Amino acid sequence: MADTPSVATDTLAVEFRNIDKAFYGVKANDNVNFELRRGEVHALLGENGAGKSTLCSILAGLYRPDAGEFLLEGKPTVFKTPKEALAAGVGMVYQHFRLVANLTVAENLALGHPKLGIRIDQNRLEDEARELGEQYGLPIDPKARVWQLSVGEQQRVEILKLLYRNAKILILDEPTAVLTPQEAQALFKTMRQMADEGRSVIFVSHKLHEVKQVSDRVTVLRQGTTVGGADTKDAEPRDLARMMVGRDLELPTRGENLNVSGVVLAADDLHIDGDRGLEAVSGVSFEVRSGEVLGICGVSGNGQRELAYGLVGLRVPKSGKVILDGEDVTGATVSQRIDKGLAYVPQNRLGMGLAPGLTTEENLGLKAYRKPPYSSGPMIDAGAFNEKGADLIDRYDIRGVRPGLPIRLLSGGNLQKALLAREVAMNPKALIARSPTRGLDVGATEAVRNHILAERAKGTGVLLISEDLDELLALSDRVLVLYEGEVVGRMAADEATPERLGLLMAGQREEDAE
Amino acid sequence: MTTRRIIVEPRGLASARLGLMVPTIAVMLALILGAVFLALTGNNPWDVYVKMVDAAFGSSRGVSETLISATPLVLTGVAAAVAFKMLVWNIGAEGQFLMGAVFAAGVGIALGDGTPAAIALPLVILAGAIGGAFWAAAAAVPKVYLGTNEIITTLMLNFIALNFMNYLIFGSQSPWRDPEVSQFPTGRPLPDNGRIPEFFNRLDYGIIIAALLATLAWFLITKTRWGFEVRIVGDSTETARYAGIGVPSKILSVFLLSGAFAGLAGSLYVAGPVGALDPRSLDLGLGFTGIIVAALARLNPIAVIPVAILMGALNNAGPALQSIRVPTATVAMLQGAILIFAVGGEFFIANRVRRPEKKPDTAAEEVGAS
Repeated sequence: MADTPSVATDTLAVEFRNIDKAFYGVKANDNVNFELRRGEVHALLGENGAGKSTLCSILAGLYRPDAGEFLLEGKPTVFKTPKEALAAGVGMVYQHFRLVANLTVAENLALGHPKLGIRIDQNRLEDEARELGEQYGLPIDPKARVWQLSVGEQQRVEILKLLYRNAKILILDEPTAVLTPQEAQALFKTMRQMADEGRSVIFVSHKLHEVKQVSDRVTVLRQGTTVGGADTKDAEPRDLARMMVGRDLELPTRGENLNVSGVVLAADDLHIDGDRGLEAVSGVSFEVRSGEVLGICGVSGNGQRELAYGLVGLRVPKSGKVILDGEDVTGATVSQRIDKGLAYVPQNRLGMGLAPGLTTEENLGLKAYRKPPYSSGPMIDAGAFNEKGADLIDRYDIRGVRPGLPIRLLSGGNLQKALLAREVAMNPKALIARSPTRGLDVGATEAVRNHILAERAKGTGVLLISEDLDELLALSDRVLVLYEGEVVGRMAADEATPERLGLLMAGQREEDAE
Repeated sequence: MTTRRIIVEPRGLASARLGLMVPTIAVMLALILGAVFLALTGNNPWDVYVKMVDAAFGSSRGVSETLISATPLVLTGVAAAVAFKMLVWNIGAEGQFLMGAVFAAGVGIALGDGTPAAIALPLVILAGAIGGAFWAAAAAVPKVYLGTNEIITTLMLNFIALNFMNYLIFGSQSPWRDPEVSQFPTGRPLPDNGRIPEFFNRLDYGIIIAALLATLAWFLITKTRWGFEVRIVGDSTETARYAGIGVPSKILSVFLLSGAFAGLAGSLYVAGPVGALDPRSLDLGLGFTGIIVAALARLNPIAVIPVAILMGALNNAGPALQSIRVPTATVAMLQGAILIFAVGGEFFIANRVRRPEKKPDTAAEEVGAS
């Protein structure tokens, strides 16, 4: 790209020239140009689906490009497998970690290492792992088994794995998505250190402030193609945002709270078990009033899922009460709660919120099909599904729908719009939404946020469970922090800052809280 | 860089034409494979196929025998289609068919000559449905409440049902056994009032009943609330639970319905052409053939009817082959080949295979990959 700062070719660690990569006819990378210098932290900025992960996966040997040139240290290169890439010093930390849960940290480091033979000296291995961790500010117990570690610690193991093989180029795919703000700061230090040693770090993100803070240079991708690059210190966040989105970006935030009245959804000392029989929710209480958004924040896996399941009726609480619109529904079935006006937007759209193989119209009737006009007696009326569906598709701007087309073929944004349309169409008293904009592009995020705020204005009580602090702070009237199944902090949104929430999410209690 | 010779991509929507074309091609490929086999074993494939068509459709007697063979296959085919559509792997239509036959014959014999046909015949047919559903329940209840694997349980229950029937006729002096015959045991004939009347050569009204029941199955799945719920459960149990649908009761009801259809195949066969619990006439693998029928009909209960007639024709043509010294097993081989090609063809219904083009085509919009 012309506006990428030009440098002498011999200092480049990696150069991509006009790379194309398509999946099933969809171009994920279209004429991508990218240059990585030695000893720099290079941010790769772009929305979801902009082609960042594809680009990284080509570099890491997971995919091969359809066309274009890939130069490593100035030499044309093709990696057939990730193993080849790693042997050449290129390693990647994926968003979904690739660790063996039952092995120790040290064993995970050793796994597949070319230097190691059949016999492994456990003690030496553990010492090496500990030293490496200390050296790079990635403290870890080498004897711990991976399943015992937190997500942040597992990420450290992934990075150590690459350092243990002396990778020269490290690709971190959205590493901060699973971290608290404080953990992210620690990671940035490590990244800096690695770059100062002459390694190159690719930092994938869509968070501008992080990019601004940690990177030396930045390349922006949009819709599969490189739209620009700059030295980070010269780049204005505003300009980067415009490049990333293609227009000025202004996500909706909540306005005045006008319509607040009685409590519509309440939890009273809820205790709910997790999948393995351990208590996942321990004594959670809260009240959601009509016309407000209550945000629940926390690092994933701190009881959010179980709490949501308990509220909607998918899991029976061990003790405590769920109150919906003044009535105790703790023992009520899912469909009884639906009838009483409880809507739920689950995190997993296709896995839970929608029936992937059914049509959009059928999915839009998934909650209301028991009542007229969808059904009369034991019969369903396909005409009513189509009529009601067409109306919602129109009103909520759901695109890509064709007669008979299974809903799974719609894009993520349209899936979420359909899901939200259905839940809102039932005129709920309370709406529970889990990470409703996760994985959506900015346009769809805007639409989803607007719909949630419209519900609030209408007087629906909204419980927003999310890991996205920006979203929580933008939409919530009050915020509640969940840590290991307990509420460790409550505050009005005005008093909440990312730093304060971050400390609470990491389990540090505030002495003066409440 | 690498260039790929062919591109495989998922289709958004398979056209109805394709849904018809792929099974047709599957049958043709099976016939070609059969022809190669016949040629290698020294037969003229053309002559053999002409003989088969002639045996199945060449005379009014042939047509009526073909339809007689097709009748139980319609219902075992529907049994498999209904269950498979919901990802309930009921491989036990064979056993449910036999238990349906046992129940039907038992009720017919118990009612005796004294009961008028208007009462006896419906009871005999219904008994088959109950017998089949009962045998399905033996696998369905543990599946729903204990999480057992129904493939294994239904498969094993097939053998229990077969041996139970054999015991009733060969191993005991049960009421099912014909006391008049001592040389080679067989079933006691059903009274005439418990038999389905014939209307065209040996063909009875069973074929009409079977076709109506297949239509009923289609109606239940596509037009009723129950069917809508079943389709959601079949698509995603998580989604069904989320929407407040009772998943265990849906799985149970589909499983029992599937068993009932297989059992009805048994009662129509006993009350129709066989007329007694005769193991030699019942132990033909009609339940297993139903799986082939369902696969070739792409799990559509209406499409099951013509496919069952095709399979019935093949079954019926088997014995005729012996007169030209071709083994009857040729038919089983052809049926197996049809199943393999039909299942393989599903890949081409789900995916589009094409050569790469210079420009990305417009199909891009329908695919969600990124």
